[in-house]
Amino acid sequence: MEMHEEQVSGVTALAVKGRLDSTTAPVFGQKLEAIVATPQSRLVVDFGNLEYMSSAGFRVLLVAAKRAEEVGSRLVLCGLSAKVRQLFDLGGFLDLFTIVRSRDDAIAAAK
Amino acid sequence: MKRPANFAYWVDDVPPHGVTLLSALQHIGLVCSFLPIPLAVAREAGLTPDRMVDLISVSMLALGATAILQVLTRGPVGSGLLAPSCFSGAYLAPSLLAVKAGGLPMVFGMTIFGGLVETGLSRVLRYLRPFLPPEIAGFVVVMVGVTVGGLGVRYVLGVGAAAPASGREIAVSGLTLGLMVGLNVWGHGAPRLFCALLGIVGGYVAAAALGVLVLADFARVWDAPLVGLPAVGDLGWSFDAALVIPFAVGAMAACLKTVGDLTTCQRINDADWVRPDMRSIGRGTFANAIGSALAGFLGSTGVNTSSANIGLSGATGVTSRRIAYATGGIFFVLAFTPKIAGLLAAMPRPVMGAALMFVAAFIFVNGLQIIASRLLDARRTFVIGLSFIIAIAVDISPAYFRALPAAVQPLVGSSLVAGMLAAVLLNLVFRIGVRKVQRLEVPAGHVDPVALEQFLDACGAAWGARRDVVDRAKFNLAQSIETLLSSGVASGRLEVQASFDEFDVDVRVSYDGPLLDLPEKRPSNDEIVASAEGERKLAGFMLRRFADRVSAAHKGGRSTLIFHFDH
Repeated sequence: MEMHEEQVSGVTALAVKGRLDSTTAPVFGQKLEAIVATPQSRLVVDFGNLEYMSSAGFRVLLVAAKRAEEVGSRLVLCGLSAKVRQLFDLGGFLDLFTIVRSRDDAIAAAK
Repeated sequence: MKRPANFAYWVDDVPPHGVTLLSALQHIGLVCSFLPIPLAVAREAGLTPDRMVDLISVSMLALGATAILQVLTRGPVGSGLLAPSCFSGAYLAPSLLAVKAGGLPMVFGMTIFGGLVETGLSRVLRYLRPFLPPEIAGFVVVMVGVTVGGLGVRYVLGVGAAAPASGREIAVSGLTLGLMVGLNVWGHGAPRLFCALLGIVGGYVAAAALGVLVLADFARVWDAPLVGLPAVGDLGWSFDAALVIPFAVGAMAACLKTVGDLTTCQRINDADWVRPDMRSIGRGTFANAIGSALAGFLGSTGVNTSSANIGLSGATGVTSRRIAYATGGIFFVLAFTPKIAGLLAAMPRPVMGAALMFVAAFIFVNGLQIIASRLLDARRTFVIGLSFIIAIAVDISPAYFRALPAAVQPLVGSSLVAGMLAAVLLNLVFRIGVRKVQRLEVPAGHVDPVALEQFLDACGAAWGARRDVVDRAKFNLAQSIETLLSSGVASGRLEVQASFDEFDVDVRVSYDGPLLDLPEKRPSNDEIVASAEGERKLAGFMLRRFADRVSAAHKGGRSTLIFHFDH
């Protein structure tokens, strides 16, 4: 898994590429925690190049969302392929996160 | 079925009268773009323009009846979906052979036979799947496109006519085709939806302006009564055993195309669509079979569900059954209006050629998409590639095939028949040696998730399995092994077994250790966040949801998880 981070108008945009499984999820989780733990922070996670996400990936996303809520940060997801979206759907995660189509929409929603 | 988002009028909805009428007219406009198929057969038979009017009138009756049969929801007939039929390119090549053998009575009689074959096929569709996999269905649709397009080119160039096409005739074809394509690519709203019909109208205008169509051609339209009874079956019907194979192949092609169209229709109408509902498809193919037999009985050529119309209903978000009843009703009215039939019968050859080329482009690409929906390995590449070359050879070197003994003429009389028979035979040959059960050992402590995916990809390609099913199986394999190893549930080596039998894909994972929990109820978010146990329950829940069925067994310290996927 590769991560690419950049700042856009006060929003942190994190692009994830590859597989998010039990091997890579801890690193991803630490990254999310480092960003959303700062109160009032804004984070967009771009899953446009994500190939696979297992239950381990969903768990760290849930942990980050809970943390964000506690400190008033905002987490927005974007770029889900049909395959990844199906995983969110079957796992019952579609309604738990703010999910938009494009990165620009996500940045606008996170502000 | 779950209503898709943004649908204005879904299958059970009742749209207002205005929407119903306009939608029905749109469908009729699209269906009429396929009228050149029976007109071409009639032209090859040397039918007089007066009799062409009768042919169009009875054709309208057949189209109206089939649109209504298809939408029925009770009894053994009808898929219950808005999927109007058009004239089928699958019957074009056999019909042209029938014209040579015995004129239009032979076409009509053999079309009834084709409808009966379709009826039989609709009843045993499920059992034919190993012999007619989707890539062969796609190939058949491609060949239908080639046949229809080939006839279109003949008409545009005037091949086989008294004289080659003049510059003005080619200009009429170019303008007609250009208008259709231009409106389809760059048009918006109604002009785009009606591009085929507007192109035909533009073709008439161009033909009149350039002198290809003269006033005398329209005289019959003026002379025709406003209201009249269609002449049903007055040319009679005949039968020739030598045409049994071409028409049986045509029926099989029509049946396969109907299956593909109705699958698309189900997918459009159901936001929760996972796989084809074969019961509904069986009833739908039966409706189409009756439609083809009825068309032959009334005095026209075979019919097929129209991919273009299904695309239209998806694009507009209007799939109400009421539209089908309105479409059928308007077709019945048109059948009793000889003036309109006369106008269509006067269609100039260059316009008809352009319309056939336009329609062929859609059929051809539709077939390619069906082929591409499957994972293709070397065997399947040869089945499709060699069959295509054999089919094209019939068109490239017709003299050679005509010189073959009379006994094999029914098999090589058209590229569609020769190509499909080659594909079926090659498919049988290449099934030899394909292992339906594949195994993979996963060493303890060393799991390469990419290798797991590649294993199932290779299995899927060898079996010709659906991509979406293989993708789901890949997720379950990766997720189950990840959970078993990361949680320490499994020890020692793991064994993976994947099997396939056309209707099912099964993935078995065996390991030393206790059974993995596969809960039916999703763990709460708090449970998932709180512990690794919660995450494991989530994994088990997702594994259960992703497969169509799961089962697990434990014996002698070794456990086996079985994930079943319907195919």
